[in-house]
Amino acid sequence: MAMVRLFIIVFVVLSIIYISLSFYSRARARDRLEAEWDEGGINMPREAYVRHGLKDYDGSLRRKLILGVYVVPMALVGLIIYLVNFA
Amino acid sequence: MRYIGWTFLIAFWVVLAAFLHYTLPQRDIVRVQGTEIIRQDFSGINRIFYAQADSGNDNAVINRDLRLINTTRANGRVMVYRNEDTGFGWPPYFKLDSSNLQAEAQASVSTRAAPEWYLLTHYGWRNEFLTIYPNAIGLKPHPGPDAPKGLPWLNIIILIVLAALFYGIWVRWRRFRQRRIDPTLEEWQDNWEAAGDAVQKKRGRFRRWLNTWK
Repeated sequence: MAMVRLFIIVFVVLSIIYISLSFYSRARARDRLEAEWDEGGINMPREAYVRHGLKDYDGSLRRKLILGVYVVPMALVGLIIYLVNFA
Repeated sequence: MRYIGWTFLIAFWVVLAAFLHYTLPQRDIVRVQGTEIIRQDFSGINRIFYAQADSGNDNAVINRDLRLINTTRANGRVMVYRNEDTGFGWPPYFKLDSSNLQAEAQASVSTRAAPEWYLLTHYGWRNEFLTIYPNAIGLKPHPGPDAPKGLPWLNIIILIVLAALFYGIWVRWRRFRQRRIDPTLEEWQDNWEAAGDAVQKKRGRFRRWLNTWK
């Protein structure tokens, strides 16, 4: 079935993008925290500061926004299906 | 060497332009004359220009019925469109309503004496040699044969996004070449020339030595 095949392929491709993007974003968050600590004025061990900051990052909106990698293409496909067939 | 490069470059852009011209939607002002269904026996050459069989059906059979919409365009020339589901394949129109569109087309039939005009969205090419038809996507009533078709917003957006993408890739490639490839090539060339000079110098010395024997 073409539909199942398309969804499997799209899911695999989007998952690769999602995983790469989330690793990249987390690495960026870590860099940011380390740079903040290196500027000085924080009386906390560097390791602990970064770990604490990353825990905050894990619950942040920024991280959840990466789910848009799945949501936006799906919404686009839904919109196209509606406009072409039912509008 | 330079000609080969140019040939590849021109071929690439021509293929890309043809691909976009085939795939992107276009709008024609038409008068629908009628609809029909013919059996189509695809050949290896024109098979690529038709959609796959409907999702539940057998894909191995090489012939099937094809819905056609016969029309006359605003400029007086006839045009025949096919009406096929694209389904979930390429191009990504996700068209699933061929039967409904066929019903709309049948309800839109008008005569030359009392023409009713419609704006027909389609993609694809009509080619008599290959026996291929553009695929109709939608049908909408239109005020008249001379009324404007409106700006193709979708095509404008897609082409701008595509141009931005190509520009981004090109800029990065050029930067990469300037930083990494060009210096290496220059180094090779310098080494090569230095080696050549050294050989020349040696040969000169050898020749001078030979000349002392004269």
